[in-house]
Amino acid sequence: MKKLIVACFLTVMMASAHATPEQDRLALRAFFQERFPKLDLNEMINGLYAFDEGAREQWLEMEDFPPYEIAIEEGEEAFNKPFANGKTYADCFANGGMGVKQDFPYFDVGTGEIITMEYAINKCRTDNDEEPLPWLVGELAQIAAYMAYTSRGNKMNVVIPDDPRALAAYEAGKEYYYTRRGQLEFACENCHMQSAGMMLRADRLSGMLGQATHWPVYRSKWGEIGTIQKRFQECNSQVRAKPYEAQSQEYRQLEYFLSYMSNGMELNGPASRR
Amino acid sequence: MKRNLYLPFSALLAVLMSPASAMAADADEYVAALEKAQSQICEAATRVQLWNTSEALLEEAAEAAAKGNFDEGIKLANEAALHAELAVATAVREKKNWHLYVPK
Repeated sequence: MKKLIVACFLTVMMASAHATPEQDRLALRAFFQERFPKLDLNEMINGLYAFDEGAREQWLEMEDFPPYEIAIEEGEEAFNKPFANGKTYADCFANGGMGVKQDFPYFDVGTGEIITMEYAINKCRTDNDEEPLPWLVGELAQIAAYMAYTSRGNKMNVVIPDDPRALAAYEAGKEYYYTRRGQLEFACENCHMQSAGMMLRADRLSGMLGQATHWPVYRSKWGEIGTIQKRFQECNSQVRAKPYEAQSQEYRQLEYFLSYMSNGMELNGPASRR
Repeated sequence: MKRNLYLPFSALLAVLMSPASAMAADADEYVAALEKAQSQICEAATRVQLWNTSEALLEEAAEAAAKGNFDEGIKLANEAALHAELAVATAVREKKNWHLYVPK
């Protein structure tokens, strides 16, 4: 009997400790399907608008003249403007940078780093002797918006290669997502899983699935287009944690995990949110 | 007569215990508290994500000290250090528990 208990315990421990990223993703989808049995999970790429019919109608009306449209145009212009050495962003990306957002973030086996799209854009600049752009808003977010726009309709396809460093980065991002932090002791999970679809003061909370498909986002409260890591910082501040620097290792790992969880879902960025 | 003898002692005691005559902290004590808090916060920051309150409290401590209110400055510096300590405590607890929230 004692041996049986130990064997059961070890089986449970092994299952929880060694779930593969794909098992995590499927378990997450099952979680949301059980939570919202009538919801088409693919609708979750629309964030809170998957849960709130009234807000969704207002949002769809706003999409007739989307506030991020100017950012796409300015991003396209910046994307095509040659660097001083004559090269362009297109020279730095596969397929000339068109329709590639679904592959980001990726794990660079050469450097052992997580490469987000914004990170790659600035690396492209520094590799071509240009100054890096500020990470969160402005020209970098506009270029990312344009690149995201060219990727609309593609399915998220984040890959975790057979490299222990990649898996470790994924696991670190996962741990971050589920760890409570800040003076209010909230994990990302508390709002976007436990309380997804529920009200937090005047706002309805989005769910974790599809959270990475629609960035960058024009948020009305920002009054401009911003990157997902700007939102990470904002979330951290809201729970009274000191935000990390944009593109810090912690945030890139988080983005890697979060994006993998949206694998197979349609890209629909840039987007607008309240 | 006996009662009269006690009067000067109780009066002296009351004066010593009044806020006006309490020993106020000086700048050196504030600086010591500030440095201790900064050291604790820096050490915590290498281990965990801090609360965003610690640095704000240090700023408030500096403002109080600049006005000569070193008692308040020390109190706020100590509170800033406490918040860093609590951030570490949360992180230690969460290190053991976070996986419980992951859907299986």
